[in-house]
Formats: sequence, structure tokens, C-alpha cells
Amino acid sequence: MARPVLEARGVSKSFEIPSVRRDTVREHALDLFRRRRTEQLCVLDSVSVSLMAGESVGLMGRNGSGKSTLLKILSGIYTADAGDVIARAPITPILELGIGWNPDLDAIDNVELLGTVMGMSLRELRRATGEILAFAGLERFARLELRHYSSGMAARLAYAVAFRAVRDVLILDEIFAVGDAEFKERCQERYRALHAAGHAMLLVSHEPRTIGSYCDRALLLEGGRIMLDGPAAEVAAAYVSLLTETDLQTRVG
Amino acid sequence: MLPLTPARVPAAAGTGHWPDLIWTLVRTDFKTRYHGTIGGFVWALLKPLSMFVVLLAVFSFVFAGEPQYRLDLIIGLFLYEFFQESTKTGLLSLRAKAYLLTKARFPSWVVVVTSASNALITLLLFSVVLVTFLALAGRAPSPAGVALYVWYQLHFFAIVTGFSLAASVLFMRFRDLNQVWEVVTQAGFFIAPIIYPIGVLPERLHVLLYVWPPTPIILFSRSVLLDGRVPSPLAHALLSLEALAIVGIGALVYRWRAPRVAEEL
Repeated sequence: MARPVLEARGVSKSFEIPSVRRDTVREHALDLFRRRRTEQLCVLDSVSVSLMAGESVGLMGRNGSGKSTLLKILSGIYTADAGDVIARAPITPILELGIGWNPDLDAIDNVELLGTVMGMSLRELRRATGEILAFAGLERFARLELRHYSSGMAARLAYAVAFRAVRDVLILDEIFAVGDAEFKERCQERYRALHAAGHAMLLVSHEPRTIGSYCDRALLLEGGRIMLDGPAAEVAAAYVSLLTETDLQTRVG
Repeated sequence: MLPLTPARVPAAAGTGHWPDLIWTLVRTDFKTRYHGTIGGFVWALLKPLSMFVVLLAVFSFVFAGEPQYRLDLIIGLFLYEFFQESTKTGLLSLRAKAYLLTKARFPSWVVVVTSASNALITLLLFSVVLVTFLALAGRAPSPAGVALYVWYQLHFFAIVTGFSLAASVLFMRFRDLNQVWEVVTQAGFFIAPIIYPIGVLPERLHVLLYVWPPTPIILFSRSVLLDGRVPSPLAHALLSLEALAIVGIGALVYRWRAPRVAEEL
């Protein structure tokens, strides 16, 4: 029997919320003998997820439901407090790419920086730079420092690098929310091509239509737990109901 | 549509092209530092030379009667500058590269180790200028002296790296650690015998001064380059022990805190 390429078993994660923040040496020294209470904010509670080779799985959930934390744990960026994450194939996370570049470097240097961090060799990157800039539609601005880029241009560049550095498993956070209609279309085509080529994908989106169209299966995360795991269309509908219910409760309340 | 051909990336978790990653971090740090300066890269190369010439000219005038003292002073100032600069950038290194650490999984210690690259380039160029000057002045150090000097600088780099590993992860918890460290290094400037000869202090205090890492590096470097004297094997052993201890403690602290760094950025 085939084993999942990416698997999370009983993953839990909490963050400490102290009653009083102490962020400096001075604050620690002054409050040395004062008791401080810390509250545990449970973000993920025994979450199990599996992703098979070639499968496209959607992840839906309201803001604060733990989606981003789960993606970061699956990508190896955060550490889980409990449970196991088993990656049987290399992963490319495409997370928070709209923010954070070195503003003093031009596009080509930034592409090399992000590309090498994502596991590409310099030789590969140099061969692919033209292709990456073309995908982002930024060939004319190759030597422009990133400080002069708009946030949309910067995000397009990041997605172009990440889409070039793809490994067996892709973890994507709201990829179709970036850029203009033309760029979105390009990303969607790229997503379909990668899926057809057999890459496994985990896609986060708030958009029921996106999950319904691009995913084979989906998960609904609510309050740090998997509430529903099933066909993408069903999960998307359940997510809409959950939002509607909450909206109604808010209005009635 | 413009197709993007998937890259052939290594199967192992994290990055598999470490030399490329290290080179890119060093190159982009260098480029960022001298970005927008008049002369750009040329200035980076000329800075140690011009500083050396200026200091030599000023100290030759001020300390005209003591030719040895001016060189002692220049070596002390440059080595201490390396220490101050590299520990400062090392301490802030993880924070400075937060935009990379929160996006992909790769070993963050690479960021810490490469953070001293700019200061290391300046130190290397200064060393070339210094040895060339000494050779032209008819006081060329012996090849063994130069080799020992390089050996001391490797120790210095190890000490700075050990400190940076610990400080960069502790900075996430103590956000004013950089200011505290600035005060420490300012006070430390007077602990290291840079502007005064160590002989003016009582001998019983010397051992305390040697605990401050720049002290043995500065004294040993002066000794092999200017005086042609090689410190005792015991002194070398103690220096290596100090460097090992700092690297060991730094690595332990880093191992303890590093898994949570991305969450604290």
C-alpha cells in the first residue's frame, strides 16, 4: 500500500501568552521576583493530516483556526509541541511570499537569495532567471532595487521563484490572491500543470470555488481541530455554512 | 502562459547546495553594505588601506618618539574593530534575515556564521596592508609569524561565531541585548590593552584581562608580527581552550533555542 508523502500524526501546538510581557534584559531584571502567569493558547489540538503522491488537498478554516501554524509545522519552519510530522519527499513551502525581500538588492540578486534558500543551485538559478522574470512579468525591472517595487510586483516575483523551485510536495498559502487577473491565470495554469505532473499539493484558501476547482479532497479546520475531511466540494460547502452560521449568530447576538 | 520548468532540487530536507547558499549570503551582504556608497565595492577594498594610512600618519605625528607604539595601537584598533563589528552583526543576524527564515526550512546557523563575512573581508585586507607595510619598512615578519597570526585570527573568528550563535537566539528573548552588548564592548575596549601596554597593570590582574577574548588575540598578534616572539605553548593552549569553550557554549545555547526562532521572529 502506498504511504503518504507527507503526514502529520496528532500534532499539537500552543503558544504561551504571558500576563506581562518581558522582552528586554531590563524588564527581566526589574521583574525578577515578580510572579508572572502564562496562559497557553492552544492553536492546534491533535491534528492528523496525510497527503498522498499526486494528491491535491485543500485546507479551509476561519481566521485564527490554525491554518498558517499547521502549514509552518508541516513545512518544518515551526516545531510541534506534540505529535509527529513525517515527510517522505522534499517540500517547497510557498508561504507569506508577498512580504520580505532585501530592499537594497535588485530583482536578480533577490531571486538568487530566495532561490538558494529554497534549495536551488546557483547554476540552475542563473539559467532560470530569465524564465522567472518572464513568469512574473518583470523582465524590464530586473536591475531595479526591490525598494522601488510595488507590493504586487514583489509578490509576483516571489511566486515566480517558488514555482520554479518546486519539489515533490508543495504547500501553498492563498496563492491565487496575488497579482492582476493575468498573473492569477498564469498561477492557476502553473498549479494545474504541476498537479498533472504528479506533485502533491496542500492548498490553503478562503475561496470555496478555488478549493472546489483545484482540490481532490479538503479539510476544514476549526478551533485547532480537523472538523471535516472529505471531498473538496462538500468541505467548501461546509465552510460556507460555518461562516453563514457564525455571521447569523453575530447578528442575532 | 510562460511555462516554468521545475528545478532539480536535492531530495534531502532543507537546502542541499550549501556552498551556493553561503556564497550568496556573503555576496549579497557585501553588496548591501556598500550599496549606495561613493565608489561602492572599491571603497570596501580601499577602506582598510585608507584607515591604515590615516592612522599611521596621525600616530606618527602624535607619537613621533615611539614608533613601536603606533603600530601596536593600529593592530589593537583594527582587531578590536573586527570584534565589535562582527559580534554586533552576529547578534542581530537572525533578526536581519527573518524574511528568509520564515519562508523556507534551511539551517539558520548558516545565516549566523556568514554574518561576520563583511568584517572578515575588512580584517583580511587590513592584514595584507599591514604585512606589506612591515615588509616595505624592512620589518617583514617571518613566515612562521604570519602563519601564527592567521591561526590567531581563525581563533578570533571561532570566538565571534560562538558568541553570535548564542547571542542571535537569545536576542529573540532579550530585545535590548544589542544595546547591552554595545555597552560591554565599549567598556571592553579599555579592558583590552589597546591604548595602554599591559605591563602598566599589576601582574595579578593580567589573567583577568586574558579572559576577555580580544586581549590574547591582540597581544599574540603584536608579538608575532612586530616583536618576532612566539607566545608559550601554554598560552596557545589556553587560547584554543577559550575558543573551544566559547564555540561549545554558543552551539549548546543555539541548539536549545534555535528550533523556536522562526516563531519568535
